[in-house]
Amino acid sequence: MKLLNCPVNGVRPLSEFIFGGECREMPNPETSTDLEWASYVHYRDNAPGIKKEWWYHSPSGTWFIAERNTLSDEVLSTYLHGKAPAKNTKEQSA
Amino acid sequence: MSMRLPKQVGEWIKRDKEIHFTFEGQEYKGYEGDTITSALLAAGVKVLGRSFKYHRPRGVLSLANHDINALVTDGMDTNIRADVVTLSNGMQLKAVNTDGGVIKDKSKYIDSISPLLPVGFYYKAFHKPASLFPFWEKVIRKAAGLGIVNFNYPRINKRKLNAFCDVLVIGAGPSGLSAAISAAENGLEVILVDENQQLGGSLTYDYAGEEAAQKVLSDLVKRVSASSNIKVYAGAYAAGYYQDHMVPVVAADGITKVRAKAVIAATGAFEQPPVFHNNDLPGVMLGSAAQRMMHRYGVKPFKTGLVFTANAHGYRVALDLLKAGVNVSAIVDLRAEGQQDTQAIELANKGVKIHTGYCVYEALPFKGKLGVAGALICPYDEATATADVKQAVKLDCDGIAMSAGWAPAGALLYQSGMGVVYNNDIQQFVPNRLPKGVFAAGRVNGAFALEARVSDGLRAAAEVANLLGKSVKAQSVMPHQGTSPSHPYPFVHHPKGKNFVDFDEDIQIKDFINAAKEGFDNIELMKRFTTVGMGPSQGKHSNMNAIRILAKIRNLPVEKIGSTTARPFFHPTPMGHLGGRSFHAHRLTTIHAWHQAAGAAFVDVGAWSRPAYYQKAGLSKVEIVQQESLAVRKAVGMIDSSTLGKVEVCGPDAAEFLERFYTGVYRDQKVGRSRYVMLLDELGVMVDDGIATRIGQEKFFVTISTANAPAVYREMQRWLQVWKLNATLINVTSAYGVINVAGPKAYQVLSKLVTIDLSEDALPMGRSTEAEISGVPVRIVRAAFVAKEAYEVYMPSGYALNIWKLLLEAGKNEGICPFGTDTQRLLRLELGHPLPGVDTDGLTNPFEMRAEKALEMDKAFFIGKRSLEIIAKKPLNKALVPFVLPADYKGELPQDCNLVIESGAIKGRVTSVAFSPSAGRVIGLAYVAMHQAQLGNIFEIRTDNGKIAKATVVHAPFFNAE
Amino acid sequence: MAYQLLKYALGGEYKEPRFFRDCQTPKKSYDAVIIGGGGHGLAAAYYLAKDHGITNVAVLEKGYIGGGNTGRNTTIVRSNYLTPDGVNFYDASVKLFEGLSTELDINLFYSNRGHFTLAHSESAMRTMRWRAEVNKHVGVKSRVVGTDEIAKACPQMDLSCSGKSPIQGALYHEPGSIARHDAVAWGYARGADSMGVEIFQNTEVQGIDIKDGQVQGVQTSRGYISTGKVLSAVAGFTPRICKMVDLKTPIVIHPLQACVSEPMKPWLDTILVSGSLHVYVSQSSRGELVMGSSLDPYEFHSTRSTFDFVEGLTSHIVDMFPFLSNVKIVRQWAGMADITPDFAPIMGMTPIKGFYLDAGWGTWGFKATPISGKTMAHTLANDKPHDLIHSFRLSRFEEYELTGEKGAASVGH
Repeated sequence: MKLLNCPVNGVRPLSEFIFGGECREMPNPETSTDLEWASYVHYRDNAPGIKKEWWYHSPSGTWFIAERNTLSDEVLSTYLHGKAPAKNTKEQSA
Repeated sequence: MSMRLPKQVGEWIKRDKEIHFTFEGQEYKGYEGDTITSALLAAGVKVLGRSFKYHRPRGVLSLANHDINALVTDGMDTNIRADVVTLSNGMQLKAVNTDGGVIKDKSKYIDSISPLLPVGFYYKAFHKPASLFPFWEKVIRKAAGLGIVNFNYPRINKRKLNAFCDVLVIGAGPSGLSAAISAAENGLEVILVDENQQLGGSLTYDYAGEEAAQKVLSDLVKRVSASSNIKVYAGAYAAGYYQDHMVPVVAADGITKVRAKAVIAATGAFEQPPVFHNNDLPGVMLGSAAQRMMHRYGVKPFKTGLVFTANAHGYRVALDLLKAGVNVSAIVDLRAEGQQDTQAIELANKGVKIHTGYCVYEALPFKGKLGVAGALICPYDEATATADVKQAVKLDCDGIAMSAGWAPAGALLYQSGMGVVYNNDIQQFVPNRLPKGVFAAGRVNGAFALEARVSDGLRAAAEVANLLGKSVKAQSVMPHQGTSPSHPYPFVHHPKGKNFVDFDEDIQIKDFINAAKEGFDNIELMKRFTTVGMGPSQGKHSNMNAIRILAKIRNLPVEKIGSTTARPFFHPTPMGHLGGRSFHAHRLTTIHAWHQAAGAAFVDVGAWSRPAYYQKAGLSKVEIVQQESLAVRKAVGMIDSSTLGKVEVCGPDAAEFLERFYTGVYRDQKVGRSRYVMLLDELGVMVDDGIATRIGQEKFFVTISTANAPAVYREMQRWLQVWKLNATLINVTSAYGVINVAGPKAYQVLSKLVTIDLSEDALPMGRSTEAEISGVPVRIVRAAFVAKEAYEVYMPSGYALNIWKLLLEAGKNEGICPFGTDTQRLLRLELGHPLPGVDTDGLTNPFEMRAEKALEMDKAFFIGKRSLEIIAKKPLNKALVPFVLPADYKGELPQDCNLVIESGAIKGRVTSVAFSPSAGRVIGLAYVAMHQAQLGNIFEIRTDNGKIAKATVVHAPFFNAE
Repeated sequence: MAYQLLKYALGGEYKEPRFFRDCQTPKKSYDAVIIGGGGHGLAAAYYLAKDHGITNVAVLEKGYIGGGNTGRNTTIVRSNYLTPDGVNFYDASVKLFEGLSTELDINLFYSNRGHFTLAHSESAMRTMRWRAEVNKHVGVKSRVVGTDEIAKACPQMDLSCSGKSPIQGALYHEPGSIARHDAVAWGYARGADSMGVEIFQNTEVQGIDIKDGQVQGVQTSRGYISTGKVLSAVAGFTPRICKMVDLKTPIVIHPLQACVSEPMKPWLDTILVSGSLHVYVSQSSRGELVMGSSLDPYEFHSTRSTFDFVEGLTSHIVDMFPFLSNVKIVRQWAGMADITPDFAPIMGMTPIKGFYLDAGWGTWGFKATPISGKTMAHTLANDKPHDLIHSFRLSRFEEYELTGEKGAASVGH
């Protein structure tokens, strides 16, 4: 069984977690066209690669973000939503 | 005719403990520690089973848990692997897959018609004419399968354990033992696993006569038992490799899930049979099987035999045979250059004739193919893989030992993601890429010499130690010296075939050639077309040979052929072990015991167990539900609703949170008021509903329907994190009990228990109040789900049972009646309330439910709003309408999910329907086409039996509750 | 060379011809290129040639034919769906399957065993009735049955499921069948090949060339192929192919796992499915129990196996059949299922001219092999979707016209 690192509770077996799907930015509902909105609710960035995903640690009720490679199942980092580790920001800006 | 040898050094049997058993009706005895096979062989029994397809007699092949032709049944259990299952007293055994016994098997004729059954024959026959296939299918199904399952076999729940360690070493041969000891000495916690009860791996049979090797073994074993850092799981196999170094270790008493920081696979190698005509006769066996028999069980494999070999191992086998008193008539070595070592010289000195550049062309059967009568040997040209039959010589023998090569037992490594390269020096695939934390050592890693195996174990242990933060000197391993342990092409073609590659599935060389001719010429297609490796031994003795044959056919190097994927399990694993004790958890309310005592019939709602109704002698479920519902309509009833999801939303942004999460308005909601809440998903689909009560300026108390509660609460938590509002969620589902008191006399009953005024004026619909019952603080909410006069009473769940009893007592004179969820369903239907999941499905939007009232489309945002704006632009296809059947309707009662039909087309369906004693007729909710939805319209419902019921669209509620 | 040598070693000449040619070098151009040599792609090629006379077709397969989900499913064929469109579509597939062994001249072991979808709760019984009513309406033999009929068909089963989840009834679907999955791919390959279709194994598509919104050709590991029509029939690889043409879909990939027991003499004559227990099981003509469960709980583009799956599945199997406690699981495996939000496929045209999609098969693709091939061939040949697949169009999502299969989100496969 896979292990996952909950940012609050540490490394726990996968059976304690619930997958919450890809973490996606909601377009502004007031300015987006019908088609843009329909595209947001229905379509997914579904090719394999490194994705930002929602995961839920069930016993403690913690939602967090995991950056995971959906091809290799390797988890690169986990953090609470909106609290991406500083290291990542650096890499992005570099 | 005993084949038992005198006591052997290191043997596994206890000769002072005799075991008695029967096989095929005959009585035999063996010793404690014997496997079924070894005891039978000791007694001179050679035919242990019949093959799967051709029903040929078969004996021992490997004695290493892949003798699929020696499966037995004890009448209760079946497919028992005789080669490894130890004997116990009183066993009454029979071979599986025979028709009339292993010797007289009536299906043996199939062998003689085998030319009619070429590879893949079943794809080419029996389907024309199509009308006859069902007949043929019956015949084929009768022939299918191995053992017969006994339906009385008891359910066995095996325990499961978890174990953790620094390094898991799989295989306790010389490399695994060395690795474990070294890792332990470096301060690592080690788990060492081996499928045999005794440690030592191949050293318990190969080199078993050599003093030096025996010293190595006893020294290693001593050091393992002396080490406090090593935990040994003997008689247990590593069933598979799973993500993050999780390896389930299967023992007789259950599975231990081992999670390691690093894994060393020292899993060794499987000996592979050279392939020649009749290489499957009882008496023809792998060299390692002959050695296991002699050294572990003290059994002589045959009396006069020859060794057919293509490596150094065969010569050691021959020496062992000689030592055991077998008359070794010849060594037949496929290689022109033969073997030039001390063993070869010793054998020659002992007068054993060595034929180099020779093959066994065929094994000669004696009558009924029940054993070996001799062997035809002849010169063999390795370059062309042809035998010179003209020079064939016949040798008398009753057994043949085969040693021509090995296949790495690399299944777990493959599962971990190993990459391999083909090493021509040893003619074997070896790892060239392993994932982090996974290591290979010993023969599976290409180390064959005894010293090399020991040092390879030390090397792996050092690498593990360095990976896990120790600082240890790296170890080196000598590359392989001398002749190759495996021959690249140990196959002797024969015009009559019957040269078996896969003993599970009776697959011969020509099957591969023919499969390739038909276009199945890559390894995966070949596997599927021939079924090689698909039997219970999972290719342990056949996959490597199949690859070699295909390489030859395609004239490609072996490594270009690649290999098939090795899936779990390493050995077939019982379902009782895998399933373990199965759990089916229920959540129970604090009033559960009372419900039980009152005869409740329970129903699962989400994770909860709830009373559906309270059984009464002599009354049907429908009658009870009607009685319970009438009690509520005429007097008063009560239901335990403690299972409702309950969440407190607290903080300055509590109202804002609800505004965004639910479809209605909560900003201006006054403290002490309750409002309906409806949740949609982002597609605008209706998910759930409930009640939000404002219990403070910054505090709401929200209910969620029982089954949806966990998922809805999760969504609340997620959105709260996204929106970053200043609010907190507290899940108080189990903190509070809920009792719903409903009916015209509810006011009267409840008022007896509280001091506050519950009258319509003081507490109208949609209001809530705090109160005390018997000193317990409660909250009372006026909600109209099941009746207009109804009170939801919330109390700390520990007091729920007490208050339930107080209510019962208080309502005695009023005839208070506890009711269950079935009655609740009817009551809410009478009020016309749709139930999420019953009157909606995974696509229902609020427009279709005609629930526009619940939507505040003028709000800036709520989940699903933007999608509703899009949906609102499209014409609506259907609508949920309340309907009634005529009061005098006498036909078949429509059921939930009966269809609404118009002119032969489906227009909708009934979602809820029941006879309402209060309304005096059948009432229901149904989706209908828009043109059918107007009040007073009559539409048609088709009942289960195809009758039509005419329904009229009406207004809800369905009755006047005076 | 080795062929000849080996032939001498044999007594007689083995006369069976190749199932399909060993194509190595593609032509410069084809009328249509089909990506994916699974059942669906090969069936589409077959019907393109047979029904529409379009034979200048290449099938490109990254691995070996039938090696994807065609060879990884649990081989169940049925048509007891929820929506009339779904039932009609799968019923057409069942009918094609029934005649397929004869048509392709290969014994597919199409074995009509009957199919029970077990209901363990009243709400499950409601869904069964819903499906039964729609099926009956369309003329498909499905009906709700009680425990007595289940007991008669499978007397060995513990109807209380070890007291944990008592069975209340079932949807019985008479046409439910199993088949030899690999042979379906091989039969279609042979049929298509014999009419001129070229099948390239070990051939990877690396890019799709589009100009002015129209497909121009395909870049492959065997060179560039020009064509105006490309059909993608790649199941779990659909997102990767769609990315090449920048086409968005709602598909999400989840592994779907299965396992097989050691062979035993046949005793289970029907196909059993339990949505609540997440179990489906049948016994093959080899005597093995073929078993599957629900999808893996998270997105993953791989065919690795998990222990959790086999633990969960076997615990439920033993609840249903306590006497199987010591029967062994031989092998587990996984496929990549391309799941859609409404549990129906995505078939037909796309906004890119000449790019056709046969995807979103999730856990229900094998049973649709013949009809998907037939309708996609029609769609390619006429550049117009076949009537049977109208409700499966990609644009339904943007149009908020999801299929009703989502309504009864019980176990699908």
